[in-house]
Amino acid sequence: MSQTNLSIASIYKYVVRGLSALSFAFLTGCFEVAPMTTIHPVTEAGRDINYVYALTTAIAVFIFLAVAIPVVIALVRFRERPDDDGSIPEQVHGNVVLEFIWTIVPVILLIVIALPTWQVIFKQAAPASEKALKVEVIGHQWWWEFRYPDLGIVTANEIYLPENTEIDLSITSNDVLHSYWVPRFSGKVDCVPGHVNKDKFTTPLAKLAGGDYYQGQCVELCGLSHALMRFQAVVLKAEEWQRWVRAYKEPPVVVTSLEEQGSKIFNMHCASCHTINGTPSADLDIVKVGPNLTNFGDRKKMAAGIMENSVENLHRWIRNPGKVKQGVVKMIPYEEILAPQEIEAVAAYIRNSTVRKF
Amino acid sequence: MTGFFKEVWSWLTTVDHKRIGILYGASALLFLLIGGTEALLMRTQLIVPGNDFLTAKAFNSMVTMHGTTMIFLVIMPLSAAFFNFLTPLMIGARDVAFPRLNALSYWIFFFGGVLLHISFVVGQIPRGGWFGYANLTSPTYTTDLSVDFWAMGLQVLGLASLIAAINFFVTIMNMRAPGMTLLKMPIFIWTTLVTQLLLIFALPVITVALVMITFDRKFGTGFFDPTLGGDVVLWQHLFWVFGHPEVYILILPAMGIVSEILSTFSKKPLFGYSVMVYSTCAIGFLGFAVWAHHMFTVGMGPWANAIFSAATMLIAVPTGVKIFNWIMTMWGGKIRFTTANLFAISFIAMFTMGGLSGVMHASPPIDAQHHDTYFVVAHFHYVLYGGAVMALFGGIYYWFPKVFGVYLNEAMGKAQFWLYMIGFNVTFFPMHFLGVQGMPRRNFVYAADQGWNFWNFVCTMGAYLTAIGGFVFIINVVYSLWFGKKAVGDDWNGRTLEWMIPSPPPVYNFAVEPTVDHLDEWWHRKYTSSGTRTDVQIEAHVDPSTIHLPGPSFWPLVMGFGIFVLAGGFFLDSYGATISIAGMLIVIISGYAWAFEDNG
Amino acid sequence: MGHAAHEHYTVTGVDNRKFAMWTLIGSECFLFGTLMINYILNKASTKINDPAIAKYLIEHGKKPFIAPTDVYDIDLTTISTFILLMSSVAMVLALDGCVRKNLKNFRLWTWVVIVFGLLFLGCQAYEFNHFIHKGLTLSANNFGASFFLLTGCHGAHVAVGVMLMGSVLIRSYLQPDWFDSVVVEVLGLYWHFVDVIWIIIFTVVYLLVYV
Repeated sequence: MSQTNLSIASIYKYVVRGLSALSFAFLTGCFEVAPMTTIHPVTEAGRDINYVYALTTAIAVFIFLAVAIPVVIALVRFRERPDDDGSIPEQVHGNVVLEFIWTIVPVILLIVIALPTWQVIFKQAAPASEKALKVEVIGHQWWWEFRYPDLGIVTANEIYLPENTEIDLSITSNDVLHSYWVPRFSGKVDCVPGHVNKDKFTTPLAKLAGGDYYQGQCVELCGLSHALMRFQAVVLKAEEWQRWVRAYKEPPVVVTSLEEQGSKIFNMHCASCHTINGTPSADLDIVKVGPNLTNFGDRKKMAAGIMENSVENLHRWIRNPGKVKQGVVKMIPYEEILAPQEIEAVAAYIRNSTVRKF
Repeated sequence: MTGFFKEVWSWLTTVDHKRIGILYGASALLFLLIGGTEALLMRTQLIVPGNDFLTAKAFNSMVTMHGTTMIFLVIMPLSAAFFNFLTPLMIGARDVAFPRLNALSYWIFFFGGVLLHISFVVGQIPRGGWFGYANLTSPTYTTDLSVDFWAMGLQVLGLASLIAAINFFVTIMNMRAPGMTLLKMPIFIWTTLVTQLLLIFALPVITVALVMITFDRKFGTGFFDPTLGGDVVLWQHLFWVFGHPEVYILILPAMGIVSEILSTFSKKPLFGYSVMVYSTCAIGFLGFAVWAHHMFTVGMGPWANAIFSAATMLIAVPTGVKIFNWIMTMWGGKIRFTTANLFAISFIAMFTMGGLSGVMHASPPIDAQHHDTYFVVAHFHYVLYGGAVMALFGGIYYWFPKVFGVYLNEAMGKAQFWLYMIGFNVTFFPMHFLGVQGMPRRNFVYAADQGWNFWNFVCTMGAYLTAIGGFVFIINVVYSLWFGKKAVGDDWNGRTLEWMIPSPPPVYNFAVEPTVDHLDEWWHRKYTSSGTRTDVQIEAHVDPSTIHLPGPSFWPLVMGFGIFVLAGGFFLDSYGATISIAGMLIVIISGYAWAFEDNG
Repeated sequence: MGHAAHEHYTVTGVDNRKFAMWTLIGSECFLFGTLMINYILNKASTKINDPAIAKYLIEHGKKPFIAPTDVYDIDLTTISTFILLMSSVAMVLALDGCVRKNLKNFRLWTWVVIVFGLLFLGCQAYEFNHFIHKGLTLSANNFGASFFLLTGCHGAHVAVGVMLMGSVLIRSYLQPDWFDSVVVEVLGLYWHFVDVIWIIIFTVVYLLVYV
């Protein structure tokens, strides 16, 4: 058995790699990895897409050169010179052979693109395995809800996932069209009200303690604050994931009297829309229209990933959310109802008591 | 009446296809100014991250109206200007089949544009995107009249296009000069013909979809409301069954224009004319079979995605044939670098780039990453702006002497071309990078830590550069109309019939109906087969009163106004029905007046 | 409608007006096709959305659903279909009268076309009214909405046809020597098309329910 690598397929692979490396340099220049980049995937699903993209880009660059070079040659060679004698060039009407060639060559190139395309389509569409972690993604104007039906966990705006695990996503919307997208995981999937769309991928290994953060965003125009509907995907090390799941069900830790006061205000004013696990707000038998705040203290960002989770930002948000995010009407400006000191108290409770050590 | 009012009146009542063409062109360029301003406002908002130049509402309105305006009020009517002015001239006819219907099309279009822009006056500007995806357009999520302005405006514009499409289809099929068989028609006439067919078959679909959205909003039906048993995806299917042929409606006339220009300025016939004709038909036909490639991420299932991706890739084949045939048209010729030709040549390069990124999106996995990012914005601007709009500007420079009897200034023209060419690429090429880096479209604001800041700044600078090019064009038109070099008839050593008559063409077009023996008939009259110039001259003027022409009519304008009133009634709660009925009466009365008018 | 006497030379030999009507018919096929697909997609959407109607149905011992079989009256629709078919026959005879310049026949059969058209519209008005009394309003459910949209659009086409034929009739009284057979033929094309579309609607909407 020959050990040589010089099969047609491997040559093909090297040519593709070379060309795609070239065009990548061309398309990406010298940029560092952007948080939403589509060409530095961390999952197999993402790499599959990226392979088709690289192949197609290489072919596209090739075809562009096949067009551009003859155009430039024609423009230089066949320009009318200043000393033109006024005669007319030969009146050529066509050439069957040439026209046949540039009908058939694109067909071949398209087949080269189409085959891996279809392969990836059907690979992505195959159902996830039974042991995959099921997560329901629900788009809202303008925030994200994530439910783990098998774990009984509901969270918002930051989706926590265990490392090296197959994830089985069921994606839908609560109101208008949204589109769920974590570019470094895989392609986008629309959140269609009345439909459930599926997506699956296997998370990468986590590098950092406290989780690797990947950014996501809504990518279907969903009203005024469409641009302000982002989220984070957090991939945790296996043991951290175990701790996170346990911690999620525990009650918040109220330490100071300010937090104590805040907890009362929360239960009076906030609990009809928001939930914090382990408090009376979790026992109300109503549909909550606001994000679940159980682990708010852990979240890096707030208000659907649009700003740092800081005391000032939370004050600003509670005082008048519609001012921070245009179009928010379900949450009223609490500066009209609560005194500044009360807002401070409820903010302290929401931020400090909900830190779930994991 | 004084001379001025007499002149205005003659334009309001004109049924002359040449004047209607000028009206279409002038309106389209006016709307281009509006649509371009909207683009500049958007780019200014995005010049730095976290900008607050525009509110979210204003930005979404600009996104929506920029798309709607550029498609329905700029490229389509600018193409219609060429259809109107050129079709009868190129096929050797005296006018279109139905001159008054032609005037009606224009006035309905005009009032449709007015209706859309009344939304600015009342501050309820459409903001659901030019595609108006349900259910953001449902009464639950858009409570003001903005969606109604969009839906009724498009409905009215669609009616105008349908009437015009029937008119031009009949004109081309029925009124060609003796001897001009289908395969002796100029290629621009072919692209016009296929465009009309696309309009005839695609418009009814959007008409139904718009009626359904109007019923949802006005009469409480739930076609697109999932809580009422409807389906939001149905809207997407209906919209794109229209919307994808619409893309070819926008690009095919541009392809025809480019073919004519390249051929003239290479002094060679179009390479592979018959293949160009077949590829035009193939593009038109396949254009109806690819709509769902706009919906790869909506969850249609792997089979639908695979089939629509194959069909979409197939369209690249006839398109590729065209591109190589254009190159071969130039090959071996004597290329003159007039402004018109520069625009046409740039079309080949820009359109190829847009087409290639289109092939990328034809692959659903790639599309899943690029969909709704700036990569797609780059793609369709390369096709519709670098493609269609550049070609249409080429057409303006090419036929301006024919239309107005004066050349546009070439120095200013070249300045405009380079400003456009550089400005365009500086604006839109970096959008590929932004898309690959994951910047979503239609975002009124972006964060500073995403790596998008630099290229957004560059894009905006490019847009400003283009705007300067636009001003150069305006100055050029004004300057040239007064001081431009006089044109006589065969202004570029042309090949088709319109160049055998004086510039501007007399009201009757051809004094003697031409007989056609060849493709590029005028060229064959000028040059013998060995290439020597014959002594054929452009046709001399004759006394117009000896030629019977259709008389002017006021009723198309009145009927167009009636349709405007009818549609306007939908916006008023208290007297809406009464006003709509009044509009309907105006339409009926003007219809009768029209039928009994002695119009020869 | 222009001048009667001279027909212009055309490449295809078909009069421009006739050609335009054929083109319009091509477009209309897509219009009705879309409406029919919409109906087929929505006809299973029978749950009543309007709470008042749902309450009314429940009070009368019914479930809050209205399906095609709950409302269609195939007898009435068969009669109205027959009337519309006969109006097409009358249309042929009216055109014949016009071509032969037989004023009496021309007027008579034009009258018949108009009366049959109005009878058809009357049947449709009765049917709509009947449906609404049973609770199937436009906004009751999407089956109803798509049904009214499809048949209503067809009814509007018939109404326009009646109006145009009425204009022909008025013209024949004002100007007894007016025999522009191309105009009548074009209107005939339109009328037959509207008739054929109704046959398809009748099959798709009414008959296929009972298959």
